[in-house]
Amino acid sequence: MYLATTNIDWSVLAPIILPLIIIQIILMIIAFVSLYKAEATRGPKWVWALIILFVNILGSVAYFVIGRKDA
Amino acid sequence: MRQWSLFFRKEMLEMTRSYKWLWVPIVFLLYGVMQPISMYFLPDILKHAGNMPEGTIINIPTPTGPEELAQTLGQYDTIGILILVLAMMGILSAERQSGVISMIFVKPISYLSYVGAKWASIIALSGASFLIGYAGAWYYSHFLMSPIPVGAAIQGALLYVLWLSFIGSLLLFVSSFLNSAAAIAFTTIGGAVILSVLSGLLPRYLAWSPSNLSKMAMEFIQTGTTSMNLTAILVLSIGCIVACLCGTVLVISRRQKV
Repeated sequence: MYLATTNIDWSVLAPIILPLIIIQIILMIIAFVSLYKAEATRGPKWVWALIILFVNILGSVAYFVIGRKDA
Repeated sequence: MRQWSLFFRKEMLEMTRSYKWLWVPIVFLLYGVMQPISMYFLPDILKHAGNMPEGTIINIPTPTGPEELAQTLGQYDTIGILILVLAMMGILSAERQSGVISMIFVKPISYLSYVGAKWASIIALSGASFLIGYAGAWYYSHFLMSPIPVGAAIQGALLYVLWLSFIGSLLLFVSSFLNSAAAIAFTTIGGAVILSVLSGLLPRYLAWSPSNLSKMAMEFIQTGTTSMNLTAILVLSIGCIVACLCGTVLVISRRQKV
């Protein structure tokens, strides 16, 4: 609702925000690749997939620190 | 020296295989970049937040570039150190628990080259990650806020790398005598926090403490000089790093002989 009433100038915003979003997506992809390749993880794989997907940066960090067995 | 380089390459390979060379720099870069961006957009975010009473006026001065870069270091003081310690808490204890360390020292290998390679790999990863994140924060603070004097920023970065090296050495020393990874992380972070708090509370007695390195780095970035005793802090920090290394070698050699 607020988005509709306030006009956000995306042409100013995009060059600042986009790199941040791209780096976050790269981190997420690396975490997913590692999760896919891993033979076994601490805890079920699908839970880790959800954590990586929905917990922004710290989800991937938590997977790398806690989830990986060979870490 | 040949042993050292062999172990160093082995550590690098292990860090690459466990994706540490990918995720640690990326996380540092994210936190470094996020700080200036969120400060830049803070007035807009508050304006659009919606649940403010009508007519509220919030006046937040936009920080200058150097101020913002120094704030990023403050961010690294908490979350950066946490991530580095979490990433490397198992560097020694994992090898001890799996028994690899006993197998290595069956052969005539100097403890110093083994510990030195571990230490160098910790410094390489934490230094590189920090510098990547710092460069990102510098870039954004420069273009969103105001230009940052290059010399001061580089001096600040070098001081901060030394602070991270101190924490890395402390981590290595702690992991030489503790077995559980959680205990190692807890002790290292606790030690760093206690040191910082104490030097804040008792500035007269701990004027030379290594924990002043990060404060000094922030001062350098903002003003270009420091009010603290630079030489004394540098000497004491390097002394602490060497002491941690010697302590690690000593503890490991004692443990292996028994």
